[in-house]
Amino acid sequence: MDTLETLKSSLALMAPAITLILGGSVVMAASLVLKPGNARDVHGQRTGMAIASLAILVLAAMLELWRTMPSELGQGLFRFDQTALGSERLALLGGLILILMSWSTAPKANLGEYYGCLLIIIGAIPVVGASNDLVSLFLGLELISIPTYIMLGISKGDNAGSEATIKYFLLSAFASGFFLLGISYLYGFAGSTNLQVIQSSYASGGRLIAFAVVLVMCGLAFRITAVPFHFYAPDVFEGTSLTLAGIMSYLPKVAGFVALIRVLGTGLGAEAIAIVAPVLFVCSALTMLVGNFMASAQSSLRRLLAYSSVAHTGYLLLALTALLHQNAEPNVLFSYLAAYAAMTLGFFACLGEIEAAGGKTQLVGDLSGMFYRRPAASIGMTVCLISLIGLPLTAGFWAKFLVFMGTVAAGTKDPWSIAMAVLMAFNAVVAAGYYWRVLGKLFEKSDAYVPLRVFRPSLFMAYTICVVLTLVWFFVPAVM
Amino acid sequence: MTFLIPLIIVLPLFVGLGIFLAGKKGNALVATAVGTAALVLLMSLLLVGQVYTAGVPEAASGATIQPRLAYAPDWLQVRLPVFVGGHQVRWQLEFGADGIGALLVLLTGIVGLVTMSLATIQIKERLPQYLALMLISQSMLLGVFLSMDLLSFYLFFEAVLLPLVLLISGWGNREEAISASRKFLLYTLVGSVPMVLGLIGLALLSATPERASSVSFETLSSLARETQLAAISSASSDSATAIGALASKEQWIVWLLLLGFGIKLAILPLHTWLPTTYSVAHPNTTALIASVVAKLGVFGIIRIVVPLTPIALSTYAQMLFGGLGALAIVYGALVALSQTDLRKVLAYSSLSHVGFITLGLMSMNTEGLTGAAIQMFNHGIITCGMFLMLAMVEQRRGRLSLAEQDRGLAAVYPRLGVMMVFFTLAGAGLPGLNGFVGEVLAMTGMLRVSGLFTGIAVLGTVLGAWYGLRIVQRLLFGSDGVSHSKVSVGGTGDIQVNEFLPLVGLAVVCLFLGLRPQDTIHLIEKDIARIANVSEPSAKAIHPEMDGLVAQIKP
Repeated sequence: MDTLETLKSSLALMAPAITLILGGSVVMAASLVLKPGNARDVHGQRTGMAIASLAILVLAAMLELWRTMPSELGQGLFRFDQTALGSERLALLGGLILILMSWSTAPKANLGEYYGCLLIIIGAIPVVGASNDLVSLFLGLELISIPTYIMLGISKGDNAGSEATIKYFLLSAFASGFFLLGISYLYGFAGSTNLQVIQSSYASGGRLIAFAVVLVMCGLAFRITAVPFHFYAPDVFEGTSLTLAGIMSYLPKVAGFVALIRVLGTGLGAEAIAIVAPVLFVCSALTMLVGNFMASAQSSLRRLLAYSSVAHTGYLLLALTALLHQNAEPNVLFSYLAAYAAMTLGFFACLGEIEAAGGKTQLVGDLSGMFYRRPAASIGMTVCLISLIGLPLTAGFWAKFLVFMGTVAAGTKDPWSIAMAVLMAFNAVVAAGYYWRVLGKLFEKSDAYVPLRVFRPSLFMAYTICVVLTLVWFFVPAVM
Repeated sequence: MTFLIPLIIVLPLFVGLGIFLAGKKGNALVATAVGTAALVLLMSLLLVGQVYTAGVPEAASGATIQPRLAYAPDWLQVRLPVFVGGHQVRWQLEFGADGIGALLVLLTGIVGLVTMSLATIQIKERLPQYLALMLISQSMLLGVFLSMDLLSFYLFFEAVLLPLVLLISGWGNREEAISASRKFLLYTLVGSVPMVLGLIGLALLSATPERASSVSFETLSSLARETQLAAISSASSDSATAIGALASKEQWIVWLLLLGFGIKLAILPLHTWLPTTYSVAHPNTTALIASVVAKLGVFGIIRIVVPLTPIALSTYAQMLFGGLGALAIVYGALVALSQTDLRKVLAYSSLSHVGFITLGLMSMNTEGLTGAAIQMFNHGIITCGMFLMLAMVEQRRGRLSLAEQDRGLAAVYPRLGVMMVFFTLAGAGLPGLNGFVGEVLAMTGMLRVSGLFTGIAVLGTVLGAWYGLRIVQRLLFGSDGVSHSKVSVGGTGDIQVNEFLPLVGLAVVCLFLGLRPQDTIHLIEKDIARIANVSEPSAKAIHPEMDGLVAQIKP
């Protein structure tokens, strides 16, 4: 079929993503007509923008529900399989929480740009997820990167903010270069930009394919903050607002992993797996170790969270190897990411509420005795931390369990897989150590018993949703 | 009456959560909490009665682990997006009770009621929350003992950590509580997180192209029985290679499982969490931890490691763990002798007693396993009594030491003195009381495997009597205490009826089990015999020199 034809037929199916991106553009344009200067009603604009964004998100979600999926998955630019659906749901879930978090924390001066960019990023994730072509894949990824630069730039006017933005921008451009180089090899080898054609040639590929895939992985490693492309994460987390740190820890990670699933597919030949799998192992091991040990050493809460986000990338990379060996479905990764969204974004929302109420959240020590000052947020953080540790009765348990399952199952084909699973298990314990350190601080008796009384309904709703999801998803092992 | 099984797990959990959610209104719910604990005890008695009288099903499968009371509804099915051998993983969760499980359910019921009723006297702050957490941990513990598949076993095994950590950190010794709970959490996780890989490995090994993987103990144990016995009985020349191949295939699984259970068990080099936790947590909490939670490791070994991977266990770890168990008996006793902090004395004595259980387990024969199972129960009852009395002493004296000013307590608290002497003697293994039965059986079992380890264990019993009597002599009958003790009594006199009764209840259990061990043995003997049917030949195949000592004695 003609590419244009397939594009037309897939437009209806892409409706949620299109709604989000168009809606984002409209919101951004709206900022042009909003009254500038001191006279404007900041509070009203904030509420209006947030509600408009939520409305767009809800519309997208409804379009997703109404849409009837064709029996045929699609061969052209877009393909509507499990990966596409999973990434769409992850984007909508994250989007809901992130917009609620932004409600009271978005930068006052640039509301339109902020929400516009956020909606476009959310809308770009399904584009990446449904991509069946290198061109649309790259388009989706850049649709995420460029708004991210803007958001980082406008979120904070100080030096640290600018530093974070520049760092992110330069590294991101560098990573995109890697990615482009990788996909140019893929194109050169297969003679087509269609991912299905490329994947069917993997079997005959061998080393060249492996080299190209490794290059692509390098490009994407930046987005998922895998070692050695993680250096920007702590600075960016420290230099931006809490909400933006939440965005940075979640949305690019989803996009990166979805793109990895798309490119790697499941059709790698044995020869290519023999090269790619060790690379993934090494990368995953380094990511886990660096993430966890650096996080243990931090006294800054933001840097700790940044490194913890790095560590989770390590676990997810390990799950990816199970996918390569066809022992797991992409659902393993999506379930993990959904649980990760609930627990990490929930934690950021709790911190956001404390900050909005006038508390400090830069250092771990700032949380000392927080339970007595802000009980609701502290209980929320407790649930999220328990889930991050991976104990039962929370979604985090199944997230780790499924990765373990996939990895041990892959161990039947590759004994190294089991060794990696053991390494991950010990890493999870190291992680439990620093999460527990934060948890202990919350309940520490301290002198500062100044209760924080300012109440932000939007942030409260954000973390309530996260906490409820974290607890409920324990009863649904594979959520996506 | 299969509804007993879900009910006994769910009831304390929901009551506990309810009290938590009630918040400040929870103060009115103290009686409800204790009532629930009483109900749980009643249900556990019913459960034991049912298991006791239930005919053992003659299973065609020849499974080693068979529940006599089962609860496995279809909705307890887990589908995971993971593929093994071409099958999607679809696991049926099962609950059920066999003799060993029922025995521990009864222990949990007894200890739960006793500790909670005494907590109403001893815990002064946030009592409803304390009781709620106790109920939740009780529910999780019952879940472990009643699960009949690897997944729910692990879920409950791991979930019990959470309420316990909160109990330790919330009601423990102020300064050290947070760091001690962190140590407890991390130590346990170091074992249990890698352990889950072993459990997954066990489940996935059962998958073949024709058969999907399973987590059910019944299925797994009948498969294990087949493979293990097939390896042993294969033609004599192949036998060694078949056994070697099987052992090396299961090697990593066994090590990971033993790491997890060994830490819970506090086997010797992995024991350092135990004294800290026991001495920092409130003695009432410690009573629960020492008597039931510490049994999780033993239970895991007797339920999973011995029946499912006997060959790998006896190849790699039987002698090692047996030796460590024997060493723990002596080491625990010696350290207990040198301590002056009473909590530490009991903590190390607990270490020493668990050594006997390890010894029994690692003998892998009928006598040893029976001894281990019985000793699990007996040690639970005795330790619970000891720690509860410690709590009473601490409440009255404000501290717990064998120092000068706390001597001669028997003169002031005669009833407490009587009970303490009783439990000390039970702990020291006086014939006629329950501690004797399990230890003798465990040592008999070990004697067939190694005379050396048994010899060390016998030495340990002597030391055990020594430190036990040292407590009695100093704390109760020390000569120079009378005058001091009148000074710092703090208003409370000897223990009252409501404190006395729970202790008497425990003492009656001790006496009953000591005089009529055959009832307990009858409860578990069929289950133990089935396990020994697999484990004994395995141990014999790996260690042909076994029973050498017995052969020398018998002409």
